[in-house]
Parts: sequence; structure tokens; C-alpha cells
Amino acid sequence: MTGSGGSATDVDDFRSSVESWLDDTQHMLAPEYPGSGTLDQQMAQLAKVKRSAYDAGWMRMGWPERVGGLGGSTLMRAYLGEALTTRGLVEPGLYSMTEVLAPTMIEYAAPQLAATVVPALLRGDETWCQGFSEPGTGSNLASLSCRAERTEDGWRVTGQKIWTSLAQYAQRCVLLTRTGTMESAHRGITTLFVDMDSPGVAVRPIETMHGVDEFSEVFFDNVEVPFARTLGEVDGGWAVAMDLLPYERSTSLWHRAAFLHRRLQDLLETAPPGALEPAKLGEVTQLLYAFRARSRATQHRMANGERLGPETSLDKVMLATAEQAIFDLAADTLTSEVTIGDDPTSERWRTEFLYARAATIYGGSVEIQRNIIARRLLNLGSDR
Amino acid sequence: MDSVDLELFEQSLAHATSDYSGHALDAALEELGWPDALAIEPPAAISTLFPLQGANNSTSSALDHVVLHSLGLHPPPARGVVLPAIGQWDPPGTLSSDGLQVNGLASGALRGLEFAVVVAAAERGPTALAVPSASLTVARVDGVDPNYGLSLVTGEDIRTYTELEPASADWASAVAFARLALAHELVGASRKMLELAREHAVERMQFGRPISSFQAIRHRLADTLVAIEMAEALLDGAWLDVTPNSAAMAKAVAGRQARVTGRHCQQVLAGIGFTTEHPLHLFVRRTLVLDGLFGTAASVTKALGEEMIRVASLPPLLPL
Repeated sequence: MTGSGGSATDVDDFRSSVESWLDDTQHMLAPEYPGSGTLDQQMAQLAKVKRSAYDAGWMRMGWPERVGGLGGSTLMRAYLGEALTTRGLVEPGLYSMTEVLAPTMIEYAAPQLAATVVPALLRGDETWCQGFSEPGTGSNLASLSCRAERTEDGWRVTGQKIWTSLAQYAQRCVLLTRTGTMESAHRGITTLFVDMDSPGVAVRPIETMHGVDEFSEVFFDNVEVPFARTLGEVDGGWAVAMDLLPYERSTSLWHRAAFLHRRLQDLLETAPPGALEPAKLGEVTQLLYAFRARSRATQHRMANGERLGPETSLDKVMLATAEQAIFDLAADTLTSEVTIGDDPTSERWRTEFLYARAATIYGGSVEIQRNIIARRLLNLGSDR
Repeated sequence: MDSVDLELFEQSLAHATSDYSGHALDAALEELGWPDALAIEPPAAISTLFPLQGANNSTSSALDHVVLHSLGLHPPPARGVVLPAIGQWDPPGTLSSDGLQVNGLASGALRGLEFAVVVAAAERGPTALAVPSASLTVARVDGVDPNYGLSLVTGEDIRTYTELEPASADWASAVAFARLALAHELVGASRKMLELAREHAVERMQFGRPISSFQAIRHRLADTLVAIEMAEALLDGAWLDVTPNSAAMAKAVAGRQARVTGRHCQQVLAGIGFTTEHPLHLFVRRTLVLDGLFGTAASVTKALGEEMIRVASLPPLLPL
């Protein structure tokens, strides 16, 4: 990471340049489908927008030059995602995968590898996924059992992952594997960068309750992975995972807040007269604005080169709380759309309401976040 | 003030707010130059003193200073200010052909002073008036928090007042700054409650283990920290733009989260926290009163929602 804070002027210039570029290209970049579209449509839309933004240079700002970036403050990345989300050009969850996985590659991959693959991710030529959870390994990540055995020139991987977002679209996977004994727990984990077209990789999408099947099960049957695809140290995968997780709770969440802001504005504009309860509206707005103020400070700490840590668990709990409150209010306000509407607009509210149910589960459940807050921020000692 | 000066200033204020309260704290603040700091750097002066006052459960006339300063009135020693009635944020006075009607509150600082500043709603807009204390009825109330030293201030058909400069009082600004100060005080009190509950949780043994090892306790305290940091985040944001809207949100969330904090901490402290042997009750009482000054969390939040519906738009966003 360059860790450059960047001057306010640079970021302000970036902001106005991006806005005028988006004003000019909005007609070409806007989705052609109604409502939220299918996942296939959303993925094609994401690739289109990332490519245009990369070729115009915006998508390269805030990333180091050695991976195809143009340097400068990471605030520009936060701003670009916010602008694209606010204008409804990308689905923030899909877009933000870049913010989670690219920093990990930049920090832990061999320089040559990072220089080759990160630009493809930034430009939308590739999709990556994150193989962390397993059927027997949800909150207790250190108990994972997907096995990687050393071979002469690399690794042989056998096991299963689950809840792997976008695996069915992905060309690559950042994969946590067990390389020590099961008893070694977090000390015997190694992170690998696996090509998804390797022989022995099988992907099965999971049908979800909100109707967008973005998660998959991924099966690895004697998959050969070159040694050069090891990220970080052998048996040092826990550090890679622990450094990655705060990224799930920083810029990605900032982008999600931009989406929530837009949808709350949509709700305000479409609510039938008298349907919105003022006190509840005021309260969810405060939750969203509190999160945004918190996340803004996190973006600035990151831009100043600070290492993000357990304090980002507070960001995650706040965002999840705000998201559920906003869509609970939407369901209370747009009752007929959410319950019996079959048009694209109604379906979109319903899908988003249902997806919000998972906000306290994915990316580390709020219970895990509370455990982190209790131990690391409140210093409450052991829970045994 | 640079960061070293600010740190020293904060340390002095920490001592003062922990050692003194009421008139004695006013004297200490005067000596430390807090009123001067308020005149020069309101954000630094407010954001250092009020959390400490909240954490130490002390009182002073600092809120009066903040209101007077926001109105552009530098407080000579013989002048206090009338605050809005409990739960309200309209000016405490109304000016008409019948004279001045007053219905408001005063901190202990008002007693013994010759004049009170009353901002009154008038046809030409909010107007600041100097009213002789003798023409006001000032009745001390105990209420839920006798230590806070509030008085009810009333007056009917008063004609003996002097209009103060500036002619049109910036009441919205006074409300905003008062709310920021109160939000800081609420956050300070909330942090203290969390500290008390945390101390108890790690020391109190049950079933052969400290109760802090039980997830039910840990998660309550974690949620308490989340609640407090929400209010703190809004406060930090509010100081970047200081608008009536951002100050209102910070105050409302600080008030609501102080209630949440009190509930969680009371539960963790359990029996001892329900007695007067333990200081928790002082903070539960204080935060209830602070929430009521310049609008409760509930009423401010409802007003925000009503305004959003009226203009069909969300409040302005703080840029990245």
C-alpha cells in the first residue's frame, strides 16, 4: 500500500472529475434492465462499468503503481465506489469484492503475481472469490479442514468451501487451507491463490431465500496449485485472513452505506402519503448517518496509512443494524409492494428486504463482532 | 491550541471537574481560562469540558456560556441565561404587545445574578433581552436529579427589559451548540457508566468465574460500546460542518444511547447498581435530565422525520 493520505485538494479534484465523467457517460453506463436485474445481468453490468472506469483511469486511482494503479489516496477508491453506487450503476456488494481481495494480493502475493493479476481484477476482466467458510467452519474459522498437501512443486488441495460469493463467475479464488494438523488450529493454515479452471474444482450455486444465488459451494478434489501461488508464509494463513477481514468492514461498508442512502431516499419519494412513520424514519436516518460518520473516519484512518484492526467490528455492527432497520421500515411502509407486488420495483424492495436479513450473519456474524469488541476493545479477558 | 496544549488543558479540566462542582467549578474554569477558550475555539472548549463534566457528574454554568457565546453575547459575570422549558427547544420567551412571557429553566448559576438573558420569539424573529432577575419567578426544583440544580423560570407581562445586540438573535445556532455540548456530556456520562459496569463485571465472581466471562454479559457491554461510538461518530461528524441538523442528530442519538447504556450497565451491575451505595444512579438521573434539555431524543427524532417527509429529502451528507 502506498499509505498516502493525499491532500484534500487531490480528493476534491478527483471527486469533481469523476462526477463530470459520470454525467457524460451515464447514458452509456446505466443498466439496461429494470429493477435490480438478474445476477447474470448485474455481473455483466459490473464488468462494463469497471472496464470503462479503469480505461478512463478512475478505477486505477488510489491503487499502487506496481499493480497497474496510478497511486494517490485510498479515499479516491472509497469515493468512486460511492459515486457508482449512488448513481445505481453497480451493485455495491459485487463491486466491493475488489476492495476486500485486491489489498490482500498486494500485500501477500509475490510482486510478479500481484502485478499480473490485480489489474485484471480492477479492470473487471476477472472475478475473484474468497474461499473461507466451510460446512463445519462458520464462525470458528480456525477450525477449517480443507486440506492442502505439499507436492514436489506445490500443493494438492482436497476439501469443500461454502458461502463462497460469486464462485460460479470467478476465475480465481483466495483460499484458506489446512496445512498443519487439525490441532494446530490457526497456526496451521495457509492461504493459496487458486485458478478456478484447475482440474478438480467444482462449483454448485446455492439457492438463497432472496432469489439472487450469489453464494456457492466449491469442491476441491486433488486440485494442483503451484507453490508460487502461496500468499504469505506457509502456515501463516491466519495473518492473511486477519488482515483481510478489516477490509470487509471498511471501504466495502462505505459503499454499502451509499447504496442504503439511495434506497432510503427512494423510499422517501415512493412512500404513499401518511405511510411513513416520522419517528421511525428519523431513527433509521440517524442510524445510517451515525454509521456513515463512523465509516468516514475509518476511510480517513486507512488513507493515512493506519492499520485497520478490531475497531472495525464496531463499523460492521452499526452497518448491519442500519441496513435491517431501513428495510424493516421499507416493509412497514411499502406493505403491498413487499408482500404482493410482482412488478420489478416491488420485487426489488422484497429482494433487498430479504437480503437485509443476512446483514447480521455474513462477513462475520454480529455475535462474532461482539466477541471481538468484548475481548479486544473492552478488554474483558477470556470467555472461558 | 496545538495538541500538547490541548492535552494539558484537558488534564487540568479533568482535575477541576473531578474535584469541584457548581460555583466552585465555575471559579476553577474561570481560573483555567475555559471561557476564553470558548471565545477563541468553541469546538475545542466544548469537546474537552463537557465529556469530563458528564463523566464526573459535576455541574457548572458552562452550558450558559455556550448559549450566550452562540448568541454573540459575551457573558459579563452578572448575567445568566434562561434555557428552554424541559423537552423544548423553542426560545423560552414570547414577546408581544402584552410584554414578555417567560417559561423556561435555569441552571443554578442564575440565582443571585442581577440580569438574565431571555431569548424571546417575536414578530421580527428571535430577540435577545436582558431581564432583571427581580421580575422573574425562579423556583428551585429537585426532580430526578437534585444535584443538577435546575430552577423553573417564569414571568408574565414583563415590560422592564433591555434589548441586546445583535438585534436578531441566532437562536438556531444557540440550539445547535447547546445540543453539541449536551451530547458530549451525555457521551461522557455513558462512557463512565460503561467503565463502572466493566469494572464490576471483571471483579464479580459467580459460578467460580468472573461474570465478564459469560457471553450474555460480554455482548451487553459490547452493544453498549457500539451505542456510545454511534453517538461519538455523529458528534465528530457534526463538528466538521456544525449545522442545526447534524447537531440535532448527535444530541438525539447521544440521548437515546445514554438510555441504552444505562439499561445495559444497570443490568450488569444488578443489585449493587440499584443502590445508592453505587454511583450508577447518579448517571442514570443526570442523563435523563440532559436528554430533556433542548429536546428529548424522541421529540428531536420525530421532528427530523417530519421535516424529511415535508421536503421529501434526506439531510445533507457530510462529504468523504
